[in-house]
Amino acid sequence: MTAPAGGPANGRTGALVRRANYNKKPVGALGGATASGAGEAVTGRESLLAAEQVFKHFAGTQALAGVSVDCLGGEVHALIGENGAGKSTLIKIMGGVHRADRGAIRVAGVPHVFAGPADALAAGIVTIPQEMRIVPALSVAENVLLGHVPMRRRAGILPDVDRVALRTRAAEILQDLNFHIDVDRPAGTLTYAERQLVMIARALSRRARVLILDEPTAALEAREVARLFDVIAQLKARGVAIVFISHRLDEVVELADRCTVLRDGQVVDRCLRGEFDTERLIRSMTGRDLEELRRAHDAEFGAPVVEVPSLHGAASSDVASAIRVRAREVVGLAGLLGSGTTQLLRRLFGADAPALRVTVNGAPAAPASPAEAIGLGIGLVPGERAHGLVMAMSVRDNIALTLLDRNKRAWRLDGAMIDGLVAELMETLDIRPRDPQKPVSTLSGGNQQKVIFAKWLAREVGVLLLDEPTHGIDIGAKTLIHRLMHDFAARGGAILFSSSETLEVVSISDSVLAMKKGEVVARMDRSGDYSEKRLREALGG
Amino acid sequence: MSAAGTRTAGRQAGLHMLSGQIPLLALIVLIAVSALVSDRFLSLQNISNVLIQTSIMAVVVIGMTLVIVGGGFDLSVGSVVALSGCIAAYVVRDVDTTLGIVVGTLIGTAVGVVNGLIVTKLRVNPFIATLGTMVLVRGAVLLITDGRPVYDLPEGFTAIGGGNLFGVHYLIWILALLFVIFHWILHRTPYGVRVFASGGNREAAFLSGIDVDRVTISTFVWCGTLAGIAGVLLAARLESGNPTTGEFYELTAIAAVVLGGASLYGGEGKLYKSMVGVLIMVVLGNSLNIMGVPSYWQRVAIGVVIVAAAAADRFRRRG
Repeated sequence: MTAPAGGPANGRTGALVRRANYNKKPVGALGGATASGAGEAVTGRESLLAAEQVFKHFAGTQALAGVSVDCLGGEVHALIGENGAGKSTLIKIMGGVHRADRGAIRVAGVPHVFAGPADALAAGIVTIPQEMRIVPALSVAENVLLGHVPMRRRAGILPDVDRVALRTRAAEILQDLNFHIDVDRPAGTLTYAERQLVMIARALSRRARVLILDEPTAALEAREVARLFDVIAQLKARGVAIVFISHRLDEVVELADRCTVLRDGQVVDRCLRGEFDTERLIRSMTGRDLEELRRAHDAEFGAPVVEVPSLHGAASSDVASAIRVRAREVVGLAGLLGSGTTQLLRRLFGADAPALRVTVNGAPAAPASPAEAIGLGIGLVPGERAHGLVMAMSVRDNIALTLLDRNKRAWRLDGAMIDGLVAELMETLDIRPRDPQKPVSTLSGGNQQKVIFAKWLAREVGVLLLDEPTHGIDIGAKTLIHRLMHDFAARGGAILFSSSETLEVVSISDSVLAMKKGEVVARMDRSGDYSEKRLREALGG
Repeated sequence: MSAAGTRTAGRQAGLHMLSGQIPLLALIVLIAVSALVSDRFLSLQNISNVLIQTSIMAVVVIGMTLVIVGGGFDLSVGSVVALSGCIAAYVVRDVDTTLGIVVGTLIGTAVGVVNGLIVTKLRVNPFIATLGTMVLVRGAVLLITDGRPVYDLPEGFTAIGGGNLFGVHYLIWILALLFVIFHWILHRTPYGVRVFASGGNREAAFLSGIDVDRVTISTFVWCGTLAGIAGVLLAARLESGNPTTGEFYELTAIAAVVLGGASLYGGEGKLYKSMVGVLIMVVLGNSLNIMGVPSYWQRVAIGVVIVAAAAADRFRRRG
């Protein structure tokens, strides 16, 4: 993609304007400025950050196709859409991580070109990512003021950290957020929610005018969510513009003043508070009504393939937490980040200790290694694609990984057996290009996913465990994976998968287990009360 | 795909293949230049010398390639060469030739087992783990021999390092045999795929049912064993066990593997390319010698070649 003719020139003026304008309007700054900031927010909400007709193309996909959003001071602007809709790309462009191919970014009405994240930060735009970037070995105070630690000069010459100022200033900022914590604690000892507040405090210490929160509640408990929302309300009152990304639509309805819905890189809906509810948002996000997405309820399930009597290894059957997956059944494990779904799947696969007592096709077992689990006919598609493939190896060798112990002779790879299977699977799954010798690193993401499936189809496992199979992938790949999962079940396989997206779980499963803190807290299937709403309630989101 | 597209793709594939053969091309150019500069270079005598010089190092390089492809790293091989050579020399002199060869080799195996266990069970970084065993083993051999070489080895033993079969030196036969065996193991067996997978992506290999720790240990065991064999061969060649031999073998071996295009992060490499790598090192030294370049300058030149090769490799990977 070529840059538009005016691109470089715009870039230059943008940079000049930025330098001239920088620091003139510390809206939302702390201390004395707070009152005026809040005042401004109430009287006239000005646009603090705007994207105008932004286009962004990545290898093979148009991530954004003419997206415009406007974030006003003192407002919570929710950005929603399915995975791959373009939310992440958009906030990365607004945060200076990516550069738009076309279109403009305006900060307080003035066009800016960010050469990198540092430029965005300098303009007062702070992104709080899902992974908290704190320095575990430093204290809370140092983390809050990281990058601009107050200094003094010892004996008039030697520069030294001004510990007193550091602690008081950090404490002030944290107090303002109603966050009472010992500022001398090493940040490494904080919980996820506490780290998040430290990150927000750091943003405030840098006079953030726009705060972008990327799925801030995904890993929080209800109590922590409430505290975060209090903090957001405070920031709003100070005139900070808040961009809020969430998959939890009820939160969006509760919190957002304005909502922009993205689908396939375009804005498909804009609405103000009072105009939107969960149903409207789902319709906009998916382009369909919820009903259409559902897995057809016509499967006739076979005998139980995998049963987990208890998650705690106790001999007695613990009915509340029992898991059962039958042939041709798709069972969803719904849980937020850190709810224990990943650990459960890994233990079931023998990848993490302690081993789980399970029953596979009626016979008791306790797989203590992936090799044992595979021997029982269980396969795992890990959450990260990078954990499922050896990128430098060919498609053929990756598929052959699960077949190595099927070799008749240890001193010779059974090339005929492997090549035959590989060719057949590449055809069935339509893996492109149809070249078994290509390193998987050269394949597209979707085709890489297919290779992971091919590994387990080659092994003819009866049970497929999938950990967050569609996390962070585009909509096309997502549909593909859903199809692969359903095909696997249709061929008589049993599927157990985890997901933190309630909508997805409810849509593609036959039955759903809700997990919280390593426990199954609720179960539902299509014969009873089966809805996303119920699942959300169970998860206490 | 259009015909033009196929042609371009074909040309790209050809280019890619060619860029993968840069070490081999470099070796050919090096040989050609050396032959032009000096008549002596291509003499049978000199070629034979180069190959004999290469052979013992090349045995070490085979083991190093396995370890590096498997995602590891072994600094202890040079010390193992010395320890195996000295122990073998003692046993050969005082007990029996065959037993000496076996014991010398097994010493290397034992160090390999220890390295493998430290790396997998104690989760120590291979660099540090084998740095430790490198110093430890060197200390042990100096203690055992009191720093003195072991002389008076019987004819039957030293013949391994001097004799020939059909006009080809024994050492070259041994290298050829080991190369064929290990090329097969690394590139034609299920075990070889496991080594590549474990080195290329531990987690993915583990989640595919591969016992990654066992594979890692096995690569260290092969590497130690081959270093042990190299030690025995060197003792036969030098007609003595010498506690100070084998110094810098580890660095030369690693440089050869990298020159051959293997990734130091593991999971990539070809055994024959490592052989090309070690040949480049030896031929370069040999031709500089013939040209009368002072030995200090030779070191500088070899250093430059290693850095240039590594940089060229990074460049190629980035594409």
